[in-house]
Amino acid sequence: MQKLGDFKLPQFFNYPPFFTLQPVKETRDNQVKLWKELILGYCRSQRTFVIGLEEDFPLFSNPVIERSLSHEAREVFLSALVNEGRAEWMDKGHKKCLLLWLRIQEWADYILNFVKENGFEDSVMTIEEIRSGIETRGTELAGIDRGLLVRALKLLEQKGKVAIFKGTSTDDDGVKFSA
Amino acid sequence: MRRRPGIAGLQSAAASREQYRQVGENVARIRTDLMKEQLTTFRSQLEEFARKHKNDIRKNPVFRSQFHEMCSKVGVDPLASNKGFWAELLGIGDFYYELGVQIVDICLSTRSHNGGLINLQELCDLLCQRRKGARESVSEDDCLRAISKLKVLGSGFEVISVGKKKLVRSVPTELNKDHNEILEVAQAHGYVTIEELEKRLSWSSGRAIDALETLLKEGLAMIDDGHKDGKRRYWFPCVASIFSASGFDGFKP
Repeated sequence: MQKLGDFKLPQFFNYPPFFTLQPVKETRDNQVKLWKELILGYCRSQRTFVIGLEEDFPLFSNPVIERSLSHEAREVFLSALVNEGRAEWMDKGHKKCLLLWLRIQEWADYILNFVKENGFEDSVMTIEEIRSGIETRGTELAGIDRGLLVRALKLLEQKGKVAIFKGTSTDDDGVKFSA
Repeated sequence: MRRRPGIAGLQSAAASREQYRQVGENVARIRTDLMKEQLTTFRSQLEEFARKHKNDIRKNPVFRSQFHEMCSKVGVDPLASNKGFWAELLGIGDFYYELGVQIVDICLSTRSHNGGLINLQELCDLLCQRRKGARESVSEDDCLRAISKLKVLGSGFEVISVGKKKLVRSVPTELNKDHNEILEVAQAHGYVTIEELEKRLSWSSGRAIDALETLLKEGLAMIDDGHKDGKRRYWFPCVASIFSASGFDGFKP
């Protein structure tokens, strides 16, 4: 089986027609479903948060069978994820896509759970610490997209679970977790 | 017999007819008895054979298919009923019913990929994968037998031969001769091009496009426009599977 780093690629990735958008609805539905699962699974395992449609992305081409996805196909597959709330376009031109293998609400829940399990209630962390500090190493939070993290924290702030405060620079922006 | 006149003559003629009849009946009875006896002996021999080789029949697919062949030669169908002594003795009926259920399951779960047409070999591989834990291994012969039992349900399961391969059809799609020929050509590489069909089958491009369009609509084919020669390829998951490498030596793009 072909692999991308430590990610095991599904067999359909080696089947050339999966790189051409299928004209028949049932076949297309099946194709889109498989690609959705692949993209989401790959991004989660590689902790990829943003896909640029015009940039090289390992899943968009398979050199073994000499096939790559057209721009249209990339957009179709990602749009399908957007429709399910598993991704968001970051611009109107659909050039960048933010992947949500956890939805914002799920990220917020994850953060609350992390705080509870590690006894961070009432303590303060900077946003950068959450993204790259020792405490979050090995958790889903390590390396999280900054925009995504801020949105999850804002959601928690609305519910009074955290307080966000500005630092001298954006790097110093901090969060206080409520008890 | 010399004809004698009078009542006595008629009576004796009737008497001898009666005697002939009795002799005839006797002979017939002896014959049937003999036949019955032979059949019982045969049956008990067959039973004894089955009992003796029970484990082989259960576990060894080759032996099982030979046993089936032997049974069919003498007109016994061990699968005809689940209540007979065969079922009790071998549990062979259950075995095939179980296979049947699993086959239906596999055909349904792969339908979205192959449009309801699956290579027998692939089906068999998937079946073996699924039954890894089970003691008995499964041969293509077993698959065919289980499928023939499914026909009773009128569920539209059918085995069709295309070229050298056998395909199992689980959708009511009727494939005509043109479709079959396309599938046969596709067996070489897993795909065909319109040009290839024109050349190999001396078809007009219209005829090729027509047949391919139908196969696309039925979900049996997928298009591939990604090759650098720019020619559209029509791939057939049922002849060269996406999901099992066996039966096909990789894809040559």
